[in-house]
Amino acid sequence: MKVKVITALLLAAAAASAAALLLQRGGAPSPTARITRDGVLLEEIALDQVGQPYTLTLEEEGGSNTVQVEKGRIRVSEADCPDQICVNQGWISGGAVPIVCLPHRLMIEIVGGGGGLDGAAG
Amino acid sequence: MERPVKGAGRTTRLALLTAIALTIFLAEAQIPALTTVPGVKLGLANIATVYAVFVMGPGDALLVLSARVFLGAVFSGQMMTLIYSAAGGVLSWCVLCLLRKPLTREQIWLASPVAAIFHNLGQLLAAAAVLRSWSVMAWLPYLVLAAILAGLFTGVAAQALIKRLDQIQK
Repeated sequence: MKVKVITALLLAAAAASAAALLLQRGGAPSPTARITRDGVLLEEIALDQVGQPYTLTLEEEGGSNTVQVEKGRIRVSEADCPDQICVNQGWISGGAVPIVCLPHRLMIEIVGGGGGLDGAAG
Repeated sequence: MERPVKGAGRTTRLALLTAIALTIFLAEAQIPALTTVPGVKLGLANIATVYAVFVMGPGDALLVLSARVFLGAVFSGQMMTLIYSAAGGVLSWCVLCLLRKPLTREQIWLASPVAAIFHNLGQLLAAAAVLRSWSVMAWLPYLVLAAILAGLFTGVAAQALIKRLDQIQK
């Protein structure tokens, strides 16, 4: 009896997650990358206006992350954290999933479209 | 369930269980990440947590869990991850304690995927607090699916362990 209830709840959670993943599509029309540490904004880059690709290094006492920026996309190319999750995530160009470096409390997320900067302000 | 173990026997069991959990945890940490989703792993050390909650009781399980989480962070050299493991560990421990009474001894395996979901939810809440952003919740669907699979695996393993240890004690 309780087994059935728990199994049903697990199936519901699995179905809801699968549905959320399928619905989580579509990029931003004018993607802007926001790089934050501890929620504090470090950089804001209008990705569709990047000319030459470049890198920037973000240092803090715990370590550093090297961020590579190209037109329309961004990634962490190097990090001195042990897990390398942020590096392995690769390029992002839109969508809801941010790049996070939990050991360095760093996050890169793409915002764009209606909110934030518009094309003219960048 | 069974007569409570007290005194030196209890201390020995707690120490042994902590050592086993810590060894499993550190061995698993050597395996490269399976996916690019942060926090996705089998969580084999939670076999010990499930065993501790159901066989030794919630209080003793919390002792084993907190010792393992703290020492695991010390030995793996990632003190920053302590916040995430602790948040996940405590939340999943609460869920295991709630499921302790309603589930029979043959149904223990089912508690593990539920606890795993709450473990990952706790980690994400901690990450959201550290990063001061709800954007990390975009990971939640991935982490729920991964938790169900990993939780079933560790749950079945814990169930098998409890069955074998019952046979030894007879």
